[in-house]
Amino acid sequence: MTGLWKDPLAAFDPEKPAPPDVVTNDYLAPSTVWDETKSFKAKMYPVGRLRYYRKWPGHGGDLWTRWRWWPTRRRVLDISSAYNPRTLKVQKTIDDKRPIWWVLGFIALALAPLFIPETRQNAMLPAGAIFGLYASINLIWMLIIGTAGIFSLASYAVVGAGAYASTYFAMQLGLPWFVMPLIGGAVGLVFGVAIALPATRLEGFYYSLLTLGVVELCRVYVLQSRQLGNATGGLYGGPSYIPEHWDEYSQLLLGYYACNFMIVLALILYRFVNGKQLGRVLRMAPEKREAFAEATGVNYRAARIKVFLISSAALGFIGGFYATHFKGASPNLFTFDTMLLGLAMLVVGGIGRAEGAVVGTLIVVFIDRVLLDLGPLRLILIGLIMMAVVLWLRNGIFGIKAQFRGWRDKKKSEARSTRAEKGGEMLPEEAAETRNKDLVYFRRFDKMQRDFLKKLITPEIIEEHRNKPLGQHSEALERVMTYFRRAPQTEKYAITVIKPFEAYRIVALSGTRGVAPRLVEDRIYKTPNEAYHALFMRRVQDLLES
Amino acid sequence: MAEVKVFGYCNKLTVKPGDAMTFHVHADGASTAEAQLVRLIHGDEHPAGPGFVEQEIACDINGPWEVRKQFTQVGNYLTVDDPQSKLALNGSFTLTAYIFPTLPGEGQRQSIIGRWDIYKVAGFGLSIGPDGHLNFGMGDGEDNDYLNAEVPLLKNIWYFVAASYDARTGKATLYQEGVINRYNSIWGKVVPIDYRSHVRETLRFKAENLAETPFLIGGARDWHELRGPFVAQTFSGKIDRPAVFDRALSREELDRIRDTARPAGDGVVAFWDTAAGYTDTGIGDTITDIGPNKLHATGFNRPVRAQTGHNWSGRNDCFRMAPQEYGGIEFHSDAVMDCRWPVTRSYTVPALKSGCYAIRLRAGDGHGLSEEYIPFFVRAATPKARIAFLFPTASYLAYANEHLSLDAQMAQPIAGQPPIITETDIELYQTPDFGLSTYDHHNDDAGVCYTSYLRPVLNMRPKSRLASMGITWQFAADLSITGWLESQGYDFEVITDEDLHRDGLDALKPYTLVISGSHPEYYSERMLDATEDFMAGGGRYIYMGGNGYYWNVAFRDDELHIMETRKLDSGMRAWNARPGEHYLCTTGMKGGLWKNLGRPPQKSMGVGFISQGFESARPYRRMPDSWHRRASWMFKDIEGEIFGDFGLAHEGAAGIEIDCYNLNLGTPPHTLIVASSGGHSDNYMLVSEETLYTFPGMTGTYDYRIRADITYFTTPNDGACLSTGSIAFGQALPFNNFDNNISQFLKNVVDAFSTPGKLPGWLWSAEEKQWR
Repeated sequence: MTGLWKDPLAAFDPEKPAPPDVVTNDYLAPSTVWDETKSFKAKMYPVGRLRYYRKWPGHGGDLWTRWRWWPTRRRVLDISSAYNPRTLKVQKTIDDKRPIWWVLGFIALALAPLFIPETRQNAMLPAGAIFGLYASINLIWMLIIGTAGIFSLASYAVVGAGAYASTYFAMQLGLPWFVMPLIGGAVGLVFGVAIALPATRLEGFYYSLLTLGVVELCRVYVLQSRQLGNATGGLYGGPSYIPEHWDEYSQLLLGYYACNFMIVLALILYRFVNGKQLGRVLRMAPEKREAFAEATGVNYRAARIKVFLISSAALGFIGGFYATHFKGASPNLFTFDTMLLGLAMLVVGGIGRAEGAVVGTLIVVFIDRVLLDLGPLRLILIGLIMMAVVLWLRNGIFGIKAQFRGWRDKKKSEARSTRAEKGGEMLPEEAAETRNKDLVYFRRFDKMQRDFLKKLITPEIIEEHRNKPLGQHSEALERVMTYFRRAPQTEKYAITVIKPFEAYRIVALSGTRGVAPRLVEDRIYKTPNEAYHALFMRRVQDLLES
Repeated sequence: MAEVKVFGYCNKLTVKPGDAMTFHVHADGASTAEAQLVRLIHGDEHPAGPGFVEQEIACDINGPWEVRKQFTQVGNYLTVDDPQSKLALNGSFTLTAYIFPTLPGEGQRQSIIGRWDIYKVAGFGLSIGPDGHLNFGMGDGEDNDYLNAEVPLLKNIWYFVAASYDARTGKATLYQEGVINRYNSIWGKVVPIDYRSHVRETLRFKAENLAETPFLIGGARDWHELRGPFVAQTFSGKIDRPAVFDRALSREELDRIRDTARPAGDGVVAFWDTAAGYTDTGIGDTITDIGPNKLHATGFNRPVRAQTGHNWSGRNDCFRMAPQEYGGIEFHSDAVMDCRWPVTRSYTVPALKSGCYAIRLRAGDGHGLSEEYIPFFVRAATPKARIAFLFPTASYLAYANEHLSLDAQMAQPIAGQPPIITETDIELYQTPDFGLSTYDHHNDDAGVCYTSYLRPVLNMRPKSRLASMGITWQFAADLSITGWLESQGYDFEVITDEDLHRDGLDALKPYTLVISGSHPEYYSERMLDATEDFMAGGGRYIYMGGNGYYWNVAFRDDELHIMETRKLDSGMRAWNARPGEHYLCTTGMKGGLWKNLGRPPQKSMGVGFISQGFESARPYRRMPDSWHRRASWMFKDIEGEIFGDFGLAHEGAAGIEIDCYNLNLGTPPHTLIVASSGGHSDNYMLVSEETLYTFPGMTGTYDYRIRADITYFTTPNDGACLSTGSIAFGQALPFNNFDNNISQFLKNVVDAFSTPGKLPGWLWSAEEKQWR
């Protein structure tokens, strides 16, 4: 560099000796980079997507009367309307299609018996009834694991306790069948209190171990208890809601519908606990963030216990119903394999979602009770499915959609990072996502500007700045500084005073009102000029790195 | 323990001995603060000057003050005095309003109209939900129920919105229609967008109307453990003609109201005609209810009126011509006009010598934010001195608590330097409680047109430096001028813009010489009139600054603590008023520059604004006319032609903002330019009001106009005016402990100006018959 710059202001101080010329860069036309840049470096692909399904238009001037699930304020369908940013037309989206799937699912369940071949009725209808029972148990269990976040494995044990107790009392006292679920509920509540107490002290894994112990205790107890039928392998002989004089098909059919009706009851309870205040409180205190929730005044412990007790009573109720369905209870309810099958159902469907509990149950029960021909292989198959879910899915079958989207986003950012230059112009993909098109051009201009300014950074202009941070500068330095000064506020450097005229530091602005600047380094500068230059050097470094 | 912070304000800026005043103090992390009355002598800590100088004054309010945490109600809304609870509607009802949302869908709920208690979940209200949808809600004290419109409300679009509730069926219906015309909204006809939405749902229960819930427009009642009741969910945007009916109006009836802006049929409980009550001189804070109950509403924190309404036709540009088109009341959720803190201390001003005083408060270690000065100005009970210093408090108000260095992208290019920010700047940036300056934008990007001193004004403090420019500014800079007067042993008294506005000529008349501050930029008509009358009546005036007498501002007679300004069309301005909103609501005068109203500063002061630079300053050099005996006396004891090549503001007496002579803008024709600066850097650019076409070379090293002129002219009755044309002039005075050639120059002028009778050089008026 041999360029010399004469300060145009030098002549204004005739009484002072003329300042020496400043060494600066040779002239470089600012249009250089613009002339050099003729196209994008990356290959350009067209973007845009055809709509292959219908979007309902908005109601416009028409009155839209919205219906609700009585007696709640929940709309029948969660629909949102939005202006399509491409056309500005209003279009409706059903944000939550689950009510539709539930209704379709229940219709399918109701009609299913009509399509079962006569030869398989004896196997399929009981399997359907079992499905209903397990699905409702799992729904409630989901409240405990998913909503309350208590990893209790004792759910089937509570059902068993309800079943045994209600059978026992019904037989002893000669009670009618419809009292049994109520007895079951009461027993479930007592049982729930007993196993809820340690939950206030034990966390996670340790609590699971404890509940496992409780299950085993129950199993050993019923196997050894004479009153509970250790000899017969279960306690049978209780009353049933299924009339004895009906033919077998009618009995099976009633059992099927009754058990599946339990799903509806369980679902209503699930919805009322999970979707209302209790559930909301608990969602604010997810696992590992309990301390934060507590600090903000969320009493998640009380909410957890409440959910646990409600669920335990419900499980006992189901136990009582189980007993009237099977006319008794069997120690199977306390076995390890029942519990593990139940757990498999939850995991396959996805923790924390009602539909996960039901569909997971459907899959496992179908394999376990319908594909009987496969023999013990069934269990291997269930194991494989469970393994696959655990290995590849983040949150069961119903987490697939979110997981797919996350994966697509990951792929997208990978592709972008290989295609786009850092801080470079926007590619069509990015421009499509940018509402304010002015920013798209700003990125182009900024890129050109920076590419040009990088060529101007030389030791000469840095030295010039060090000598005189404020005031008139050579063309090259002035260009660089004007660019720096015009930068947007976010992360723009500034100086902060520690002690006026004694100590200064460099900070970066937040760009958001209400958010204080961030300290970028510890160094302390004694004068504003030193700080100006240090700040300039940071900006130069950022420019060269971009 | 938290950092100790003390902030405060006083209820009067300008007092006379014997006046009562009150102090209002907020403290964080401390329950007592040590108070000390001080006279402020010098406010700039720059090492080239004498540093910060204060004089402790014995006084009975010195000593420990009990202080506590204070809360500030931020945001605009309208309150309604409704002693008979006519607005606690228990049956069917309808709420309507035209709205122009300016911040919809930013995650905050904004109440439009209603009687809603957020904390107790009780009442009813029409609001904009956090996602930008119109929302009507009801609460029974336990639970709430609500419905949303189908499509979101869009920013800067006029809508007519309503919610009607039928108590018999429980049906609530939302009504939302765009009422855009070719002028009133951001978009016109070409945008293919449907703004309409009509939604009906059956609510589960009726509202529980608590007795204590206030009916509010633009806000809702909330409650906090320490603070008690306050108003939250404040609105951003304009509301025009809100109304309440005691029956569920039909779609057709609402259509009629939308089209006519008049109540249709019976059932009106209240109809606030926001356009009623305009006078030729503006409008107050009362909004007239033209319904049967006369439930007039009152604006809180001064919502902006005189704004275009939903029916603005574009033909009229002022509320005086078509008040019915100016029903828009503008609300800002971050407006503060009066902190309304309880009184910490009352005080009766003793017989203090006129000057600038402050209560110094120290809590904790007394450093940084734990030290606070609450300044106030003491006038003479009976003026005796010949010299008066006029503190430009109107301009202090304009800059009060500015956020430029942290908020404004253009601050660094304007200033030509990175900002040097202080704890105070960060505090102002973090809390909305201390309000904004007229250089800031509200959170919805609207310019701030009202500013007040009933809040801690943290840049009207000694030692304060303007972050963006790295120098003292306004108050702290002006203390360099009073400090100079003090150092030279002049007997002087102080007055303020508030006195000038209130008392007019009477405030100036007792004095032979009045000296301005360094940047008297904001002037009301009365202030400007009085200044001209003073000079015309033989008064001597030194305009010791730059960019003065620039913006036309207005004060209400009964609320002198609030100033209104509208920035528009041209001038170096932080924002632009919307079309049709260029007139001052306070007086009905057009806002903007005095230049554009036919009174450029040159007309009264000889010089007017030409450029600003902020990163450097220059000396003056004598101009040939300074050898004329009419003016040569000013240079007694000054060696050489260059003077002022030093100073506390970037080492020059001419700079920061500079003014020059211009015959075409009314500089009196006999004016002399006695000295001028030159050689300003290219960061000094031509001001926008002097720019028609733009072309290269409108900067310091190219354009000869970019300079500070010291001009001198005589006025009737032996009066005179000297203008220094530079903000940095005052900051050059303290250099070398007030012993320098700028100080000498000013002393020559002040000595002459403060002596009644003929001015030096007055005799040299004959035509020069020259041999050379």
